[in-house]
Parts: sequence; C-alpha cells; structure tokens
Amino acid sequence: MSDMDSFRLEIRAWLEAHCPVSQRQPIVREEQIWAGSRSTFPSEDARQWFEAMRDRGWTAPTWPTEYGGGGLSSDEARILDQEMARLQCRPPLYDMGLWMLGPALLTYGTPEQKAQHIPRIVRGEVRWAQGYSEPGAGSDLASLSTRAIDQGDHFVVSGTKIWTTRADVADWIFCLVRTDPEASKREGISFLLIDMASEGVSTRPIPLISGESEFCQTFFDEVHVPRDNLVGELNGGWEVAKELLKHERKLMATMEAITEKVDVGLVDLAKSRLELSEAGEIADGDLRSRIATHLMHADALHHLNETIYRGMKAGQLDPALPLTLKYIGTTEQQRKDELMLEILGTDGLAMTGTDSVEQERMVRNWAYNKAHTIAGGTSEIQLNIIARRGLGLPE
Amino acid sequence: MMILNDEQRMLRDTIADFLAKESPVEALRALRDQAPELAWEPSLWSGLCELGAPAVASSEAEGGLGFGQVGMGALILETGRTLCASPLLSSAIHAQAVIRHCGSPAQIERRLPGLLSGDTVASVAIQEGSQFRPVPRGTRRNGNTLSGDKSLVMDAGAADYLLVSALDEADQFCIAVVPLNTAGLTIQSQRLMDGRQYGSVALENVEVEEWLEGDAVEQGFTRALDEATIMLCCEMLGASRELLERTVAYLQEREQFDVKIGTFQALQHRLATAYCELELAAASVFNALLAMDKGETVLSEHASKAKALVGDILQHLSNEAVQMHGGMGVTDEMDIGLFLKRSRTCNQLFGNSAFHRNRFATLRGF
Repeated sequence: MSDMDSFRLEIRAWLEAHCPVSQRQPIVREEQIWAGSRSTFPSEDARQWFEAMRDRGWTAPTWPTEYGGGGLSSDEARILDQEMARLQCRPPLYDMGLWMLGPALLTYGTPEQKAQHIPRIVRGEVRWAQGYSEPGAGSDLASLSTRAIDQGDHFVVSGTKIWTTRADVADWIFCLVRTDPEASKREGISFLLIDMASEGVSTRPIPLISGESEFCQTFFDEVHVPRDNLVGELNGGWEVAKELLKHERKLMATMEAITEKVDVGLVDLAKSRLELSEAGEIADGDLRSRIATHLMHADALHHLNETIYRGMKAGQLDPALPLTLKYIGTTEQQRKDELMLEILGTDGLAMTGTDSVEQERMVRNWAYNKAHTIAGGTSEIQLNIIARRGLGLPE
Repeated sequence: MMILNDEQRMLRDTIADFLAKESPVEALRALRDQAPELAWEPSLWSGLCELGAPAVASSEAEGGLGFGQVGMGALILETGRTLCASPLLSSAIHAQAVIRHCGSPAQIERRLPGLLSGDTVASVAIQEGSQFRPVPRGTRRNGNTLSGDKSLVMDAGAADYLLVSALDEADQFCIAVVPLNTAGLTIQSQRLMDGRQYGSVALENVEVEEWLEGDAVEQGFTRALDEATIMLCCEMLGASRELLERTVAYLQEREQFDVKIGTFQALQHRLATAYCELELAAASVFNALLAMDKGETVLSEHASKAKALVGDILQHLSNEAVQMHGGMGVTDEMDIGLFLKRSRTCNQLFGNSAFHRNRFATLRGF
C-alpha cells in the first residue's frame, strides 16, 4: 500500500469518527458555519464538527502548521477533499478570510501580519468582508475612489464600498483604497486591512431580489488605520488584488461546480412534479432535453476540473483553460436554477408563505444566484479575458 | 484538452507530422473529385499502416502497440484537423471492436490480425433508412441467408468484408460476416458532402458462411458502437479545434473600419463562449477515453454525453467559422466549407445530438 493509500484510509476513518451524521447532508445556507465574533453555531453537531476540523487545521488544509493550518500537500488536500465528498461532509467553515484574504496574505503579508491574522482565520474567530467595488467602480474596479491619506504612522480613509458581503456582521474588512490620486488608475491603489470596530465605519444592508440582504454598503468617514495594516507595497495594492481575485474566481467556479447528488435532486424534482410517460420518462420532451443538456454540462464541468488538475500535475496545462471555469460554473448554475423554477410551475412563483421550506429555498436561490454571474468579475469581463488572454484576440 | 503521457505525445507528434505531409486538407479536395469507387488514397493508408495506426490502441498481448484508447484518441483527433479520409474509423476502430467484443476466440484469432495490420479492411453496417437507430429492423436472418437494406456504411465499396447487424427468426440479435464478392450483395457507392465514400447496401437472400452470434453479441455490439462513437468524437474535437484556430487567425488578420475585426467585442464573446463549450465537450470525451482505458465495459452514458456535446459545439463552431470568415466563408476556395460539410456527416454518424440526449436521459432514468 502506498503512503497516499494509507493516508486516505486514515482520513476516511477519522472523518467517519468525527463527522456527525447531521453534518453529512447537502449544505443549505441557513446551516453554514460562518466565522466571526458574532457567529453562532446552527447546531451542537455543527459546533463539534467545526471544532474537530479546526483542531486538525483542516479548516485550511494546505496552510502552514506554524499558523495553525493543516500543512497538507496539494495531493493530500485533494484526498481530504475527495474523502469529505465521499461522506458528503459539509464544509466546516465559511469565511472570505479563509478563501481569499488568507492565500493572498500568505504571499504578500509581513511576518507580523501573518502571525496576527492567519491563525485567527483558521480558527474562525474573525469574519472578513471584502471592500473592492464602489458605486462608481464595478467592472472598472481600478477607477475606485475611496481615499486613504498617508499620515506617516497611519492612513485616514474616507469613501464608500458596496456589495460588501455581510459587512454588518464582519469583524474586519480588506479594502482597496486610493493612496495616490495623481498616478495612473492601477498604480495609485493600496491594499488595507481595516478593523470594522474603528471609529467612522458604518454599514447598511441592501435588500436584494431574493428577499435577503447579504450585500451591504459600507461607509468610511475619516477612519484612522494603522500603517502596519498595509499589505504589500504602498501603491502596490493592484498586484495583491489580482492574486486575491484569482482565488475568488476559483472559489466561485468550484462552489457552483454542481455535484452529482444535487443533479439527482433536479431529476427527482422533475419526476415528482411533472407528467411522466408510461415508461416513466418526463413527457415534456423539450424540458427533458434541456435537463439532459444541463446534466451533461454539469458532468463535463466536473471532468474539466479534473483535466485541469491532471494538466497542472503533468505540467502541460493549457493556461487558457482555468479562465473558463468561473464563466461556465456560474452560467450552468443559473441554467439549473431556471430549470428548477420551471419545473415548479406556478408553485415556484411564491417566495414566502408556502408550507415548503425547501421549495422557498429553491426559489430564493434562483434569485440569489443571479449575482453569481456579476460578482467577482462579470461574465462579460470573463469572456473578455478568455478572448484576449486565452484565444489571443487583439485588444 | 487531453493530458497525454510522453509516449502518447510522441505518437501524436509523429502522426501530426505525417498527416501534414501525406494528408493535408488539399488531399481531401483531390479525393472528392475522384469517382466514388475510390474511398481513400492507397498510399496514405499504407503509410498509416506502416506507422501502426490501426494497432495503436490494441494491447501488446493482442499484437498491438499498447498506446491505449487515449493514444488512439489523440491520433484520431489529429486526423480531424486535416480531414484525413481513411478507414481508421470504419475498420481499425469500429470493425476491430465488433470482432473483439462479439467474436468467438477462434474468430478473433482469425480476423483481428488483418484488421490490426490494416491488410484487411472491414466496415460495420448498422443503419437502415435515413435516421440512425442502433437496433436492426428490416435486416433479417433466415437460416443462413440474410436479406435487408443498410445505409450510410462507411467505406463499404472498398472494404474486404462487411459486418452486418440483423435479427434472426426469434428476433435475436446477430451479426453476419459478408465478404464483398458474396452473391446477392450489391453496394452502391456514393460520395457524400464530406467527400468520403459511403455505401447503400442491399442484401437479397445472401448466403452467409460466418456469423457472430450468442448471448453476449448484442451487448458486445453496443460496446463496440460506443467505443467507435467516442473515437468519432475525437475526430470531431480535432475539427472543432481547427475551426476555432483558423477563425481566430482570420480575426487577427482581417481589417475593416481600419482595425482588426478581432478587436470587436461582439466577435470576441462569441468565440470565447464557443471555446468554453468546446472545452466542456473535450473534457467529456477525455473522460470517456480514460474510462475505456480503465477497462469499463459499459460506455453508453459516456458515449452519449460526448457525442451530444461534441455534436452541438462542432455544428455551432462550423457555422460561426463560416459567418466570421464573411464572404470568403462561403467560397469553395476556403477550407472552412469542407469542415462545415464534414461536421454535418459526423453529426449524423452513430446518431445525432438529439438521439444521444434522448438516450442519455433514458439511461439516467428520466
């Protein structure tokens, strides 16, 4: 037996011993375990599961052990992923710090910044928000205008950030701010970490079409931020931001990468709601064909992810390939949401007040997921990147 | 994209070099002007056989080269890029698979070596009428005689023998081995829009001396068909990639309104979405090849996913390529039209996208 095989068996046994049965169901949003000082656990099982994973550093499996991470190689982490998927283990922790800031901080942070922030991210003690977009800076992010005036040992920050996910409950926010208004757009930007408890920070949730208000607008009114909170070089924030965006896009693609069990959900829903032929097939040939196409795409997306992984390992990856994932993943997710809504028929028109929590969730997700082709770089921006960087079409 | 090992990459490069010299797209132009009796250039086929192309996937134990199905897939993909007309698909892949999965040990021993070396060429006759259906209806076995009509039989007129699917008196599936000179067999050869030879086959009380028969034959035949379908998908991927690359190159050169037309976002986004769909289809095909190499014997879901996705994207890309080449796209002088026409025959061969979506849905139980 190879080392990897015995590693797999060890992980499998550990997960079976430590993951409560209730944490082996497909995750729903209300039961996600979010980091932060104001977070509560959705259940005692969730707390146990989170703590077991945290104590092994497996909330951040590949991060260095000196900061509390799991210290796993990419191959080992992949085995952990596969074994968690096999048991249908829920993710033990949700946090922007975990997905986006952490990897960037490990690359660009000072030893002090890493020591201060990384262990708290791994342990889920701090909830991070992202301060990128502004009312006047969406796809054209580099035109952002939140100002940070250099005062030597600190900056004074004024301006506003929008689509700051759950900033109302966040402890910290990582922000792109303009430190040199004279420089060209991308060269006058810096990357700052800001404590949400600082004086002059306020936040306002934005009601969304899904009936929720996950996204906020955050205001900075002459907020004093210590210079130690600058990540990377002064006016070098764009580089940090690009690194971070890569992680965000990867995340959005994989979060939406539709797993087999969810697809079975679509087929089950269709078979329970729609008229069937004598052979037990969906009688509406048009809808049946579109469901088939979606399931084929979902499987293919899974295989595309595998191909990218194999290609990376073999050192022969077409660099254009990973650029496609965010566009494909989010587009396919929406196609699935539209199919679900269509299958529900007129039942799917009720967003509240029905006796089916599950059905309302599907409808809410349909509206909520409209954001996925916008956030983290719109589909149109993704296609620009694919066309120019991937296919080599001229600017 | 396909991830290849070192040997498979060397094989791919060797084949690509060979095809660039011996079978560029101009070779198809020359072939299509010949009488329909000529299915392929004999020198091209003997060159491919010298390279061992028909035996690429076959194991060393079987007398093959042992590059696996991924190796064969990579080879076939290259043939799609140059529209190479040869009996690789009809004989080296499909007929070989039928013999391998449906033949008795004695039949395999007798028939496989010829197909592996390429000295013998066989073709499989499945379709009846103008719509693909894998199950025979009108082709019937009666004792040892066979009657019926088959259509769209690849390279039929140039083959040494045909493998004809039929039902016997008890509606059991069986396969007849019919040499071309057999009395009662007539083949009308026709060049279809892709410039290749297809036969309409009529069988009238043909005395058959050899059958592939038994309980496992129907299952084996399905497996062989699925394998051939997956390999056809590789050819279609090659054609799709070639269309995309040629169109990108044209958009990088062609100027209108004083700029390269490739700067237009409307065109960029259309090609970028096509690229995404192409890579999805490619991932599906690659996964199917891996499944074959892993020894999976039930390949129908893999084949149907691959064929539906590749069929859709090849049809789409061939249309986009014509459109984006503007007026030049509809001239016979440009190769784009040849790819367009090959794409349409590929879409029909072994069932079109609609057929495979329907089959996939049935296999998945909805």
